[in-house]
Amino acid sequence: MNMEKHKKVIAFFKELGFEFNISRFDDRLIAQKLVCLLDLRGINLGYPCSIYVRGPYSPELTQDLFEFTNEFENLKTGSRLSSHEKETAGELGRIFGLKPVPLEVGATYGYCALRQNCDPLEALRRVKRLKPFYSEAQIALGISKAKEFLYKPTQKDLDELKKETGIWQRASLKSLEH
Amino acid sequence: MQNDILSILNESDALNAKVFSLVRLKLLSSLAALGPDGATYRELKAALDINDGVLFANLNVLKEMGYLTSEKITSDGKELELYIITPEGQNEWKRTKTWLCRFLDCGA
Repeated sequence: MNMEKHKKVIAFFKELGFEFNISRFDDRLIAQKLVCLLDLRGINLGYPCSIYVRGPYSPELTQDLFEFTNEFENLKTGSRLSSHEKETAGELGRIFGLKPVPLEVGATYGYCALRQNCDPLEALRRVKRLKPFYSEAQIALGISKAKEFLYKPTQKDLDELKKETGIWQRASLKSLEH
Repeated sequence: MQNDILSILNESDALNAKVFSLVRLKLLSSLAALGPDGATYRELKAALDINDGVLFANLNVLKEMGYLTSEKITSDGKELELYIITPEGQNEWKRTKTWLCRFLDCGA
């Protein structure tokens, strides 16, 4: 077992500018969902998530947040991020912005879609069942952010998009000629 | 430790019989996994699909037995009730889980 794995998580928090405070419920929630989303994106930090009453969650991470509180709160770490990890952290911060609701909805949707292999409609249904206290708009926003962070368009997607929007682009260019 | 059914049934005397309701077992097992982080009332209600009356009453019974504590927290600007399992609750859940595993393992 890697005893130092929490240091890598702290390095991510530092990169994200996340000033963690153990006494704040939202901070503990943000910590959980950040680690889960990074895991879904392929960055394995050693804290696997599973579905609990709070959605995707790692009890082992909770244990370490409480055991190494001082290190987490003061962002003490000797671990460094690779350029790929830095880039991913940057994207995560830009898309979600350390906001608890989109992070929670996004991580739940991502977990259902990628780990439980649900189709988009089923994943949406599961998010709504687990988080009925969030509005339609909050759920839509969280899901859209999850898609932006977790899915990279393939060449086929880009070609399809070009085909779909091409007709409008041509029409708009033509209208400029008049 | 004996494995005959009568011995296993008699070991249950050491458990708190008040824990043995489906709702209380669901609550204790859910909160035991979250440790000091706890879960809010609305999360428990949604995930476990328990109606308000039953959920509130059972959370209170577990609190009175010293297995849970609750506190007000603020999340995303909203005031919510957070439920956390106590060390006594964790111990009782461990004892219950161990006994249930033995009970089921013996083929009863």
